[in-house]
Amino acid sequence: MAIVTLQNVTYKYPLTEAPVLQNVNLQVNEGEFVAVIGPNGAGKSTLCYTLAGFVPHFFKGELTGIVEVAGVETHQSSLNEWVLNVGLAFQNPFNQISGAKYTVFEEIAFGLENIGVPRGEMKPRVEKALALTGISDLADRSPYSLSGGQQQRVALTSILVMEPKVLVLDEPTSQMDPIGTREVFGVIRTMAERGMTVVLAEHKVEWIAAFADRVVALKDGQVLLDGKPGEVLTSPLLEEAGFGISRYTSTARKAKEMGLWKKDQLPVTLEEAVEGFRS
Amino acid sequence: MHERLSFYVHRDSPLHRLNPLTKLTMVFAFILLSFGSPWYWTPHILIVLVILPLSFIGRVQREYLLTAARLIFPAAGFLFLMQSLFQPIGQTVWFRWWVLEVTHEAVAFAFVNAARIIVMVSSFTLLLLTTHPSELMSDLTRRGLPSQFAYVIISTLQIIPQMQAKAQTIIAAQRSRGLDTQSSFVKRVGALVPLVGPLVFGSLVEVEERAIAIEARGFTSSHAKTSLREIPDSRFDQILRGALIVSVLLAFVSRLWLS
Ligand SMILES: Nc1ncnc2c1ncn2[C@@H]1O[C@H](COP(=O)(O)OP(=O)(O)OP(=O)(O)O)[C@@H](O)[C@H]1O
Ligand SMILES: [Mg+2]
Repeated sequence: MAIVTLQNVTYKYPLTEAPVLQNVNLQVNEGEFVAVIGPNGAGKSTLCYTLAGFVPHFFKGELTGIVEVAGVETHQSSLNEWVLNVGLAFQNPFNQISGAKYTVFEEIAFGLENIGVPRGEMKPRVEKALALTGISDLADRSPYSLSGGQQQRVALTSILVMEPKVLVLDEPTSQMDPIGTREVFGVIRTMAERGMTVVLAEHKVEWIAAFADRVVALKDGQVLLDGKPGEVLTSPLLEEAGFGISRYTSTARKAKEMGLWKKDQLPVTLEEAVEGFRS
Repeated sequence: MHERLSFYVHRDSPLHRLNPLTKLTMVFAFILLSFGSPWYWTPHILIVLVILPLSFIGRVQREYLLTAARLIFPAAGFLFLMQSLFQPIGQTVWFRWWVLEVTHEAVAFAFVNAARIIVMVSSFTLLLLTTHPSELMSDLTRRGLPSQFAYVIISTLQIIPQMQAKAQTIIAAQRSRGLDTQSSFVKRVGALVPLVGPLVFGSLVEVEERAIAIEARGFTSSHAKTSLREIPDSRFDQILRGALIVSVLLAFVSRLWLS
């Protein structure tokens, strides 16, 4: 069952000349994990904002086509209602901290306070969310005293505690060091395993290959490819179009030209490469 | 620096335990009294006999006195000097120098004005030092202040320490690229110019991102907000607020009466 549907979506920011999204068609099924890749300026963030309702409700501009989540059309809804269905987290963890709270626990409760959850329900919900993302031990710390990876996990928890139907993540690890990246992907993996519907814009293709059910390649606001990670991430079209691709894929492609790679399928991750060269 | 959010100092004291609105009322009452009272020495008395003891009651005397010594008193001193020298009022000339004339009236006027400034800044400082921003925000929105408005107050309160922290980062980065921040004053001021761009433009982009982030957490939701923390509002709070308002009214009435 499709929970997210985009039909012929075209969008232009108030100040841009050309559309930033052009005729985008996309369906995401319930429980599916879809990764969105694309070079800089391809429109990944804009797509995320569209899914999360900030386009058009926050950014204004011209949006045509149909954007539907859980059976509701974006034009028929308000941002306030929309954010209850779609949670959004993005790159800079520092800017996602409300700035009004003293501890991580209070920070995570902020969203619940806003939507009027009674005090008695708040505590168990925050505790559950903290346990889910594995940051219960940070509960009493100040959000500003944390590392980037920890802050980003707090940001994710702050969204998850609101129990959205769809989670939209815009390059949540782009400002993380390798440790932070691993921490954040740990949380994303938990979400995926629990059957959460996730749309993730991300550059790090090796992580995508490990997690995603499907990959959408975006270029100049248009969908270039949409398919299984193994197919999309190894497509020769990507490199031509200026996408960052896995070094294992490019190595194996060279090896294939020289007759050293025997399989049809090219690898994306180290494991796949090792396995392929062995056989 | 790190565990610090805005100016708030996390401690347990009678002042910390007061309701945020009571403290806010106190701030405005002190300010109104120092400007509105008919008695000349009111602001001076407030500083010595009320604000100073309060900083001890709130257990933030160290932080307060530091701020006072570094910021409040120098600024008030400067104001005093300028007004004493350049205020063209009064006949009782104390001394003359070049085109300047220092009169008794100008000095008296400057002295009370400086004290008023000290009262104003000091009482706000005490409020900020002893009140958790989030409690202030919850309490005010609970009493009907629009949450957007409350948020503007709260985030402004903490933008200064954040800007400081960011300026430190930028300075460190620029210095590592050879920026001079340690020689003479004029040179240093000139050298600060390259910091302004990243600081301000960075902030504008940040403002948009912040707005999105809190919006994603239902900030402008039409539901009535709830609060995780219970905010005390005791009988004592209510009586104190009443007393403060009455004293301000009395001051204004007696002023009208005497004039
Ligand atoms: N608020 C805005 N107003 C006007 N134009 C914008 C705005 N945000 C983005 N754009 C433009 O829209 C296009 C797509 O930007 P977008 O941020 O969606 O790309 P992206 O794929 O997320 O890029 P990146 O990899 O750099 O994050 C770019 O040309 C950008 O300049
Ligand atoms: Mg982006």
